[in-house]
Amino acid sequence: MRRALLLGLVAGWLTPACAAHEHGAPGQPRDLQGVWEKSLARPALAVGVAFDARGRLWRARVENRQLWISRSDDAGKTFTPPMAVNRVPERIAADGENRPKLAFGKHGELYVSWTQSLAQPFSGHVRFARSLDDGQSFSAPLTVNDNVEIISHRFDSLLVDGRARVWLAWLDKRDASAARQRGERYTGAALYYTVSDDRGATFAPNRRLAGHSCECCRIALARDTDGTPVAFWRHVFGQNTRDHALARLDSAATLRRVSHEQWAVDACPHHGPALSINADGVLHLAWYSGAEKQRGLFYAFSRDRGQSFSAPLAFGQPDAQAGHPQVLALGTRVVLAWKEFDGQQTVIRVQQSRDAGRRFTQPVTLATSASSSDHPLLVSDGTRVLLSWNSLAEGHRLVPLPGNRP
Amino acid sequence: MMPSIRAMLALLALLAGVAAQAAELKPFVAGSLQQIRAAHAGRPFVLALWSLTCSHCQEELARLGALQRRHPQLNVVLISTDTPEDAETLTATLARHGLARAEAWVYADGFTERLRFEIDPRWGGELPRTYFYDRAHTVTARSGALAPAELERRAVAPLAPP
Repeated sequence: MRRALLLGLVAGWLTPACAAHEHGAPGQPRDLQGVWEKSLARPALAVGVAFDARGRLWRARVENRQLWISRSDDAGKTFTPPMAVNRVPERIAADGENRPKLAFGKHGELYVSWTQSLAQPFSGHVRFARSLDDGQSFSAPLTVNDNVEIISHRFDSLLVDGRARVWLAWLDKRDASAARQRGERYTGAALYYTVSDDRGATFAPNRRLAGHSCECCRIALARDTDGTPVAFWRHVFGQNTRDHALARLDSAATLRRVSHEQWAVDACPHHGPALSINADGVLHLAWYSGAEKQRGLFYAFSRDRGQSFSAPLAFGQPDAQAGHPQVLALGTRVVLAWKEFDGQQTVIRVQQSRDAGRRFTQPVTLATSASSSDHPLLVSDGTRVLLSWNSLAEGHRLVPLPGNRP
Repeated sequence: MMPSIRAMLALLALLAGVAAQAAELKPFVAGSLQQIRAAHAGRPFVLALWSLTCSHCQEELARLGALQRRHPQLNVVLISTDTPEDAETLTATLARHGLARAEAWVYADGFTERLRFEIDPRWGGELPRTYFYDRAHTVTARSGALAPAELERRAVAPLAPP
């Protein structure tokens, strides 16, 4: 009895600290440290790829605490020897939701961003570097978050807008940290962003786009046809409803709720959404929900810049763990890609639409692996669409989608 | 209210003693779930998935530990989605929550998608994730840390004699 009471007291003493620190902050149980260190040492499977305006494919991957950039002039068949971005090694997050990012300026600038993992569990800084000589050399990395507490500033997203400004958005726990210091609770994280109008030499003071985002789901960022960046992310509505929200990174920055599965859960899904905007300004959105009555993947479009949305279309097989969706729109062609497990191996499935998302073809399998793997990534050079996928056994693959014009 | 330093030291000493009695972690691989079900044939049990990297799991473990003390006949089976390398931390964490003697497993296959599929093809991987098996092994799944009342209701109801 005495022991039970004491254990209850210990549980009571430790638990609020963990709960209040939701995904990391100083004060986590000390033994988490070792687990965090080991997770950082696992193979970095998340690979970033992007086509530049000249149709050359760039790849960013992490090895031995360095970010390595290489280029392919034949759509991924061969790559140049990789160049290191950070000369001083640092721990770089490269799991499924934390992928290194690449973007391009109007005059051949190459921009890269990533999340640096810090010593405390679940803490990080958003890092940025640029190359002005076609990837021959890189600037010393900048820390973009202007709050530098050892807390979470992670899950970075990178975009160049219509005026060649460089935008970064990420999930930030500074408001949660401030609340804790006041002895208050804070639900989730917050979505912060910054912008550079001098080709990434300097960044404006950080601004908050929205409070109370989900803590560990990637942010989808895309450029609207008027040049404005649009963010799409898993938000926490009310106490713990983890559905999706959209906001334009303009002066109004009005948050619009996109999904209503009502996934009320005190858990972190590690399952972020996807967004693509075609040349007609139609938004195409894909996301995952674990709500009991609506578990699985969903797709919707918006023809009025995110004022209203089509009825969500369920895709993928919930009984095959369908998850980690990608969407890419090219004119009236819309491609959906996602991960499933067929009982023996992981498969990447795709479905395509030729009428701007109204009807889709039957799903087909594009790639398989019986080993650990990255989430799928769709990329386009403006004509073709390719699947980029890295797996432990097979390595990094670029697979052209069926229906690409020769 | 913070405990005094002396009280904390006393508690830590107690924890060290409890950790020393911790049951051995079993490696969870393909086929392990069938083994667990067979071992509990005809009996209700709670299957709880958790990880050291999940803060809500700490709340869930504390509640499961408290429930286990109130209902010693409750069968709790814990599966950690961490790695066997984390064994020491895992057993210490379970001990801290009063779960030192619960049946405990840890993922022992790097291809975690396969393990997750075997446990539940519909589970998206969110943690904590809890399965309530009744006597006939009809199962109810719940995601996220559950309110103590819900956890108790779902875990204890199947214990009533048929």
